[in-house]
Amino acid sequence: MELCDLSAHELALYLRQRRISAVEILESCLKRIESVDGRPGTLDSSPLTAEDEQKVHAFITLTPERARAQAEAVDRKIAAGEDPGPLAGVPFTVKDIFCVEGTPSTAASRILANFRAPYTATPVARMEAAGAIMLGKVNLDEFTYGSSNESSAFQPSPRNPWKLDRVPGGSSGGSTASVAAGEAPLSLGTDTAGSIRQPAAFCGVVGMKPTYGRVSRYGLIAFASSLDCPGPVARNVTDAALMMNAIAGADPHDSTAANVPVPDYLAALEQGVKGLRIGLSPDYFRITYPNLQNGTFETQPLPAEIETAVRRAADLLAAMGAEIVEGVPMPNTRFGIPAYFVISRVEAASNLHRFDGVKYGYRTPQPTNDLREMYRRSRGEGFGPQPKLRILMGMYVSAAQYSEQYYNRALRVRTLIRQDFDRAFDPSGPYRLNALLTPTTPTTAFKMAALYGDSVLMQYADQLTVPANHAGVPGVSLPGGLDSEGLPIGIQLLGPDYSEDVLLRIGRAYEEATETDPWRRVRPQALA
Amino acid sequence: MIEYEAVIGLETHIQLNTQTKIFCSCKADSWNDAPNTNICPVCCGLPGVLPVLNKAAVEKGVLLATAMHSEIRPLSFFDRKNYFYPDLPKGYQISQFDMSLAKGGYLDLPVPASASPDGKAYVRRVTISKLHLEEDAGKTKNAGGQRYVDFNRCGVPLVEMVTGPDLRTADEAAQYLTRLRQLLRWLGISEADMERGNLRCDANVSIRRKGETILNPKTEIKNVNSIENVREAIEHEIERQIREVEAGNRIFAWTLEWDEDAGVLRKMRSKETEADYRYFREPDLLPIRMDDTWKTAILAGFPELPLERRARFVSAYGLPEYDAEILTSERRLSDYFETAVKTYGGDPKRVSNWLMNDILRMLNDRGLTADQLKLGPAWLAELLKLIDAGTINISTGKSLLQKVEESGLSPAALVEKEGLAKVSDDAAIRAVAQEVLAENPREVEAFKGGKDTLMGWFVGQVMRKMRGKADPNIARQVLEELLK
Repeated sequence: MELCDLSAHELALYLRQRRISAVEILESCLKRIESVDGRPGTLDSSPLTAEDEQKVHAFITLTPERARAQAEAVDRKIAAGEDPGPLAGVPFTVKDIFCVEGTPSTAASRILANFRAPYTATPVARMEAAGAIMLGKVNLDEFTYGSSNESSAFQPSPRNPWKLDRVPGGSSGGSTASVAAGEAPLSLGTDTAGSIRQPAAFCGVVGMKPTYGRVSRYGLIAFASSLDCPGPVARNVTDAALMMNAIAGADPHDSTAANVPVPDYLAALEQGVKGLRIGLSPDYFRITYPNLQNGTFETQPLPAEIETAVRRAADLLAAMGAEIVEGVPMPNTRFGIPAYFVISRVEAASNLHRFDGVKYGYRTPQPTNDLREMYRRSRGEGFGPQPKLRILMGMYVSAAQYSEQYYNRALRVRTLIRQDFDRAFDPSGPYRLNALLTPTTPTTAFKMAALYGDSVLMQYADQLTVPANHAGVPGVSLPGGLDSEGLPIGIQLLGPDYSEDVLLRIGRAYEEATETDPWRRVRPQALA
Repeated sequence: MIEYEAVIGLETHIQLNTQTKIFCSCKADSWNDAPNTNICPVCCGLPGVLPVLNKAAVEKGVLLATAMHSEIRPLSFFDRKNYFYPDLPKGYQISQFDMSLAKGGYLDLPVPASASPDGKAYVRRVTISKLHLEEDAGKTKNAGGQRYVDFNRCGVPLVEMVTGPDLRTADEAAQYLTRLRQLLRWLGISEADMERGNLRCDANVSIRRKGETILNPKTEIKNVNSIENVREAIEHEIERQIREVEAGNRIFAWTLEWDEDAGVLRKMRSKETEADYRYFREPDLLPIRMDDTWKTAILAGFPELPLERRARFVSAYGLPEYDAEILTSERRLSDYFETAVKTYGGDPKRVSNWLMNDILRMLNDRGLTADQLKLGPAWLAELLKLIDAGTINISTGKSLLQKVEESGLSPAALVEKEGLAKVSDDAAIRAVAQEVLAENPREVEAFKGGKDTLMGWFVGQVMRKMRGKADPNIARQVLEELLK
């Protein structure tokens, strides 16, 4: 076991006990990156080699000098007897959708490849203020638009450390791959429809989407502003709680960041699940998707291995004193993806307007005297296919003559989805749940290139995660075993607004119950 | 001959005079500042930034809405107005669409005889069809074959206020803008200077046969930077439309630009279809919740408005309309008047005369506003009382105005210090009168020969010798006695 394989809370503890130094931790992580990550994603990269196929490729930009300076500063503070902060010396990676002053902040898009942010996103600033050390910026789907990470303009795209011919999931695939491969114990991701939880499930790590507004979005390059949530990726629940302590809370730069007191997420972590009501819903054990040939909807049960993993988790939690409530109806779950298609694209198209070649980022090198032509070429050359698809659809469904039938209707569906959760969590309602226990994804990690290009089917990978984004409620994906191919299965907990502490507490109980499971000791292929 | 009438609606953009911009903490006023010096990541629309609402902009908007008799919505929303232009860094403007800060409203516009077609004053009710908050865009300019962008103005708070098609003449439009400017300054919410772009106006103009109620295709006049130019441009456009219609031509929905130097309208573009701005709720901002507590706090101390005050000055103080109009042209001046009247306790018209003749001249000469005078309303009242009491005469009083302003001493103190009190001592005046008569034997002879009008001249000579301090009535009595 190397330092980089230790958890964040262990590293923080050993550092305070002066058993290890921040620089030693950093060097261990950099060494791991050196050995497993391979070449970083770049624009116009050369074709994939056989060696590339054996690497993780989590990073776009590694910032070792910056990290070293910070690690040395932490070590100096400790030597001087000063408080270095609760995350002192703990390395983390940042999804390259966050602005960090002085670093390229690319959104994995050609259009921002040359953009260096002049300011730092609030959650990153809070991590650094807590003493954490940023290692660099990790890959993602272009502008976070995807569920496999393959749409990045910076190739090679990340690969799943558990099985290197599989996708890590997305869009926070670089975050989850870097944490799963031991390159960093923590990563900052974003979740708009499942972009933290789905890749966390695929990569066998913990990923939390906090309540909308729990973590500031300031500095997060927006996808769908009403759905985007920054959140932690970690290898265990305690580390996720530690990271939540650092990043959660109101922010004068984000008026949608809620002015709700932040609990100490570590405080109640070990209190167990006795008396908690945890629900299971049949609507989360099947997926509904469109048949593109005839336009009808088809329903399929989930793979048995995934359902079994969730039901086993329920049994374990019941054995620890939780009350399991079966048959909770969440009837609008199936409309989550269609509504998301519309809402996210309207917001995305608008959010992408600022990338016009005028102020920063890519501008067409072809000279033109015509402003419209400059816009068209800069955007045409700068955006990859995923942003273009989202712009087309977003512009279509928000046009005056269609917005009632699409956008406003989707907003009403969103309200219905919220009502599903309100009913399930209502303390005086029929179910009175503290949490809903579900699978995170309908499948485990699929093969690279298996789905990419089919943007409709790719979206359905988010069917079980997107309802929480619509409703604004928190969710966490936990490693829940391995399937017959040795791929991680994710189980998900969803709770009422601001119940992150309860979800983490349940997650921690599940961790304890499965501590001795054989799959807990299996190492990912990249580390074998 | 067919009689036509014009149908005019005005769309105004009002820059609110907040310290900082509407969604960031940059300085709002960039007048005379170098380009791109009052900017930050937020107002330049950098990736990842978020707007945070400046409450002062909302509060100023509420003051205006209240003055326009608009209904303030307890819950209002910001929306994105999407379009591409280099001066719009986000590619959308944060504005308000269907649920804006205020709804409806009107202004009862007094149209004076001088601006009335038939020479009779009347009142026109101008309805307000839109009143919302939004952020201003930047500016672009072309120079040397290059296009430059200045983002200083990005994020300056604006109220967009649009009237119904209620105005009927170019003069009415000019009157509306004059009253609006007065109101904005009165409320202290905008500098309202059209030349500086604090107040901007586009005019929608169409014509129809008198008596009709239909709305014909309209043209929109843009880029007019003074009230007089708005009046002139509308007048030109009405004439043009009448000429076209008389010639059997159609009016097209053009956008026109006023060329101030040439005094002509130029066609900017045809505008047959409405642009689709794809409005949707701004997800980065919370709704504005205007609860009673906040509203009460904003409206505490809401002032009496200029038109109301003007009417009261006429009814309560018996001022002529003309005086009331001038004294309420500006809030600090009208406050000055009112305080002076109350402190003085005498004839308000007398105070008005002094204000309109002397104080206004002093303000103009010195470039001051009424509240900046050292000669405050209480001292003006004191000065008038000194005159009424006969302590000083009027001409001493007039010259005292300047002295008070320059010295910062009260009128009474100055009279005391400089010995300006009227000399009403018979003996002193008699001595000077005797001197005057001795020095002017020819005039004495002429007077005695029947030229009575010379009495005024003798009094003047006495006054002059006594540097204005003599009581002219006593001087006259003494002279009459001596010349008997």
